[in-house]
Amino acid sequence: MQPIECEFESEVLAAVVQSRWPGQVEAQLRDHVEVCAICADVAAVAGAIGNVRDQARTAVVVPDSGRVWWLAQLRTRQEAAKAAGRPITATQMIAGACGVGLLGACFGATSAGFQAGLRWLGSCLAGFDVPAELAAHGALILGMAGVLFLAPAVAWLVVRRD
Amino acid sequence: MFREVTFTDVGRLERVDDACAGFVMDEDTFRAFYDRTARGLWLYLSRVAGDRQTADDLLQETFYRFLRAQATYDSEAHRRNSLYRIATNLARDARRRSLTHPAANVAGHDIEGLSASEWRGAIECSADFTRAMSRLKPKERAMLWLAYAEGATHREIADVLGLRPGSLKSMLFRARRKLAGLLGRQESNDAAN
Repeated sequence: MQPIECEFESEVLAAVVQSRWPGQVEAQLRDHVEVCAICADVAAVAGAIGNVRDQARTAVVVPDSGRVWWLAQLRTRQEAAKAAGRPITATQMIAGACGVGLLGACFGATSAGFQAGLRWLGSCLAGFDVPAELAAHGALILGMAGVLFLAPAVAWLVVRRD
Repeated sequence: MFREVTFTDVGRLERVDDACAGFVMDEDTFRAFYDRTARGLWLYLSRVAGDRQTADDLLQETFYRFLRAQATYDSEAHRRNSLYRIATNLARDARRRSLTHPAANVAGHDIEGLSASEWRGAIECSADFTRAMSRLKPKERAMLWLAYAEGATHREIADVLGLRPGSLKSMLFRARRKLAGLLGRQESNDAAN
């Protein structure tokens, strides 16, 4: 199996990083690098990368730190404001439905007219033949049920996309 | 589906203020940290992403996400690793969106500000190096740059790139072999010409 590391690797790397390579290192280490492919690669690659980095580091122009900080603050504020202004959420919808249900229950329990209306509706439904009505108006009932389920789903998708 | 809920204007305003006050780092600490790391990070991004414009954009985005992360760090090295990890992920995402073109314009920018004699040497050195680097995979470029330009340890490199520390040594070996081969081939081509 081909070796992937050498015991002198870190020594060669240190010499390159400290700009001692190749002139200011022991002849023994130079001799080793001539015969060791791993150390030769380290010297070549670390030297090339180090040169490019040193030349580039002085020339690179980055934005001012104060500007980056200010932009980050601004963006955070904008994102928070945007999140706060989003349309009604699912949680709010559920809370609203619960509220309406509760109000309805209170009204139903206290209103005599409403109670009478309910009794009338019950008597109407008692004489209602479900299989016969379904056979006669099945397609219409299915269509209405579809609209009832589809409309909220479409509304939710539109709100979500926004 | 369950977005954060605000019921009143007071709640909304509080939320905006909380978000702005939410940076764990104060301005002075951030600015000192930025001044220490921004140039090195730009160079890293330019090598990994492969072009100057992308590096500019990703630099801003990296520091923004770093601030928004609201994490606490044990040490400067930990903080720095976290910054580079964010940068690496952003560069990878940018590449996936096909917004980058490897090694398009890095050499020209790197050599700005040098004297005429330095400039000629730098342009050759940097162009050759950039050409060789562009033949490597982005992960190999990142690995080599972190190891030999940033002096990161194997564990730090593995952490930044999301690799297993155990496999890093062999991956680094292969990447180094490849780059040394490419640089050597260019040198011998230059000598032949």
